[in-house]
Amino acid sequence: MIRMENYSVELGNFKLKDVNLEIPRGEIFGIMGHTGAGKSVLLESLAGFYENHEGCVYYDDMPLDSIPLQKRRIGFVYQDYALFPHMKVRDNIEFGLKMNQVGKAERRERCEEIMEKLNISHLRDRMPATLSGGERQRTALARALVLRPEILFMDEPFSALDPWTRKKMRKLVRKIHDELGCTVVFVTHDHEDIEMLADRAAVVLDGRLRTITDNSGCFGTEDREDASPLMMGRTL
Amino acid sequence: MKRKTVRRRSAFERITVLCALTVALFIFTALSFIVIRGLPYMSQVITSPEVRFATGLSLMTAFISTAICLLLGIPAAYALTRTRMRFHRVLTVVMELPLSIPNVMLGLSLLLMFASMPGKFLSAHGISFIYNVKGIVLAQLLVNMPFLIRITRTSFMNLDPRLETIAETLGAGSFKTFLLIMLPMAKNGVIGGAIVAWSRALGEFGATLMFVGATRMKTETLPTSIYLNMATGDIGPAMACAMIILLISGLSLVISGFFNSKPVNGGGERQ
Ligand SMILES: Nc1ncnc2c1ncn2[C@@H]1O[C@H](COP(=O)(O)OP(=O)(O)O)[C@@H](O)[C@H]1O
Ligand SMILES: [Mg+2]
Repeated sequence: MIRMENYSVELGNFKLKDVNLEIPRGEIFGIMGHTGAGKSVLLESLAGFYENHEGCVYYDDMPLDSIPLQKRRIGFVYQDYALFPHMKVRDNIEFGLKMNQVGKAERRERCEEIMEKLNISHLRDRMPATLSGGERQRTALARALVLRPEILFMDEPFSALDPWTRKKMRKLVRKIHDELGCTVVFVTHDHEDIEMLADRAAVVLDGRLRTITDNSGCFGTEDREDASPLMMGRTL
Repeated sequence: MKRKTVRRRSAFERITVLCALTVALFIFTALSFIVIRGLPYMSQVITSPEVRFATGLSLMTAFISTAICLLLGIPAAYALTRTRMRFHRVLTVVMELPLSIPNVMLGLSLLLMFASMPGKFLSAHGISFIYNVKGIVLAQLLVNMPFLIRITRTSFMNLDPRLETIAETLGAGSFKTFLLIMLPMAKNGVIGGAIVAWSRALGEFGATLMFVGATRMKTETLPTSIYLNMATGDIGPAMACAMIILLISGLSLVISGFFNSKPVNGGGERQ
């Protein structure tokens, strides 16, 4: 379980203010909001990337600041994927295993397995710069998932994809979630992503968390175009 | 980047081109005199013991001082950019101050430092720098360390810190992250900087002269040799040394330029 209590963080002119949030284990949680609203900052905060914050984040009642980054068992996929540019796809994916002292044979095996699952086996010897957007994303996802994280964070994982790939990726994320039983927190612009994937969703507006909604029935009944102003009114 | 222009150059553009040509011509003319005057002497002087000594001494001291610069400078640059070190702004200024101080003055400060009580204590116990080869290395260090720290610090600052965060979530500690993520990505900038630092060390004169003096066949580096030989009217060896410096400097510049322009991804960009 992730719990955020009275969390604020200031970055230059921007401030994420007084966020209270609880995400139970195994949930798929969506974060929505306008560009620049602070979605990415919230996501990074949930992963505990900022040091100069007020308030607290807990994973299973452990204060996050007391768990080193290496021990948090989180996978993070950035919007632009942030692959290690000097490493082949395979080395990107195996990096985490190497850091966790997994033996060479098992490393190869787990790497092949996840590449197979994400359909990128044929890319194993390519450099990130030569990959397409979708291929990069699947590589970044594989890099995070190969360690079987307890929480998977994804910043706008579907934005750069065409509708067809997008649909496939959503199914894939759902499948991975069901297999690993991990918590998934993702950011999106698109109501459809929330509808299709999320158990619950929150809206971020100008650095504040405005709404937390159950997926069932909230977006479905309303016209999609109108959904967001409507949700803004329904403050938590 | 290249752009084909059909239109005529404006007056402003023509002035800038003229400025560029003037500067290039000035530098080329000045340096070509070294080549023109130096070439005739090359064959007869290049094998002389003095020139060979000076070349060897310069290459060696520059190599050692650059190695020490890298060994100390890279961790220092890391501390300045990646740790929440106290007073890091002030310390950055202190470390890079020598960049804007004349080398003669840096040599003078070393001389004064080692002529002081603690310095005398050191040399009494066999650690002596003044007027010997170790002093040359130290002078080059003081001149080049700030240069290398600035280059390395800039390279580190240009890296995307999110890659380091990702590496840490994947289990890498700070040293592994440094070694496997930061260093390979900053590699070309640092190597390019080190090559320039090495060639700067090779040509360092002011600080060396002040600190270790100019003793023939003892503290005679390539620039010192130019100075000594010109002072005694021996134009031959002076020109030979000048030619050697010119050659090495030019080569270093080309090689470091190669490193600086190389992308880290090892492949063509696509998107
Ligand atoms: N490290 C930072 N320093 C200063 N401002 C930042 C930093 N990171 C984000 N911001 C600002 O915070 C705001 C929210 O950013 P972000 O969370 O990335 O928005 P989005 O909701 O589009 O993901 C933006 O105005 C951005 O410019
Ligand atoms: Mg964002």
